[in-house]
Amino acid sequence: MKIAASFIVKLLVLMVLATATSTALAQDSNSSDAADDVAEKVSEAQKMGENYLFEDPNDRKTFLKLTAELRCPMCQNQNIADSDAMIAHDMRRKVYQLMLQGSSEQQVIDYMKERYGDFVHYQPPVTPVTIWLWALPVLFAFVMMAVFLMRRKVTPEENIEAKLAAANKLLKDD
Amino acid sequence: MKRLTWFMLPLVLFLGLAVFLFQGLYSNPKDRESTAVSNPFPDFTLPDLMDESVMYDNSVFDGQITLINVWGVWCTTCAIELPYLESLKDQGYRIVGLYYDQDLDPDFGTKTIERVRTEVISTLSKFGDPYAFNIFDVYRNTSLDLGVTGAPETFLVDQEGVIRVHHLGDLNERVWQNKFAPVLAEIEHKATSSGTESGAGK
Repeated sequence: MKIAASFIVKLLVLMVLATATSTALAQDSNSSDAADDVAEKVSEAQKMGENYLFEDPNDRKTFLKLTAELRCPMCQNQNIADSDAMIAHDMRRKVYQLMLQGSSEQQVIDYMKERYGDFVHYQPPVTPVTIWLWALPVLFAFVMMAVFLMRRKVTPEENIEAKLAAANKLLKDD
Repeated sequence: MKRLTWFMLPLVLFLGLAVFLFQGLYSNPKDRESTAVSNPFPDFTLPDLMDESVMYDNSVFDGQITLINVWGVWCTTCAIELPYLESLKDQGYRIVGLYYDQDLDPDFGTKTIERVRTEVISTLSKFGDPYAFNIFDVYRNTSLDLGVTGAPETFLVDQEGVIRVHHLGDLNERVWQNKFAPVLAEIEHKATSSGTESGAGK
């Protein structure tokens, strides 16, 4: 009984201590400047060899999606997640920085497009030039269907009648 | 007639495809529209490569035609174009370096600024020094804003601080005559007709 009581007291003391420290920590982080925070996190990520850290797993997903969708302007058939070019390093860092500053996925893409053109995104925009990427396969399918239908023209009916007559004649002959 | 069309159709399709693929053999995948051209040079405040207490910003372009050359000592092609750039300097053009180092990153700390400076001095004394001064793009942010993909790249910036030419790769006589000279003539013509004096030129 006595042991249980002392245990509960200890537990209470610990809980009080824990709340006190966490509030103190929270105040500490509130007082630090948001911009400093971003810079600190970016430099931290670099120290750890580009282990970009996100608190929200959704942000992590967005980061991975963005680095997979953005194309490296130097090594043209690689995305920036794959590429080891210096520019790819810089772009990954920039994506991370922009995301920490609260940019949305589209804003990050627009930021890169502004600097490197439509080229930098693997999803091409629909323009009078690129519309053919979508139109040509559909057009091809239609043309092929038309050709197919045209070639399958029904044989003239009199021909069938003639064949029938011939068949009947054969039957009669039997 | 109809049979002939059916006979010709695959041939025409094949020839079309062949022509399309053939011209692909001669197209340069690095050749694409730069988004920087005809936009103002991005805002920057960066230190001098040799003396970090000297700071530069966009006012370096005021009233002068400037060639911005993105380079680094680690880049072989940059070293190869240095003599040509020096000959341009001798013709009276103003060339400013935007120094871009791959190893130096304050957070990585693999290379000290002193080491970079010694390397720069030795490279420039070996191959020629065309630069009025060098701007040190510490975090390579300005290069990213410019749409730089690697070194060397050269920008022609007019007196109003607007980018007029963006060239990827080395600068040589052929590139100069084809890409830079026509634009430069246009800028200088405009400058003389409007009465403002151009800073560069002979």
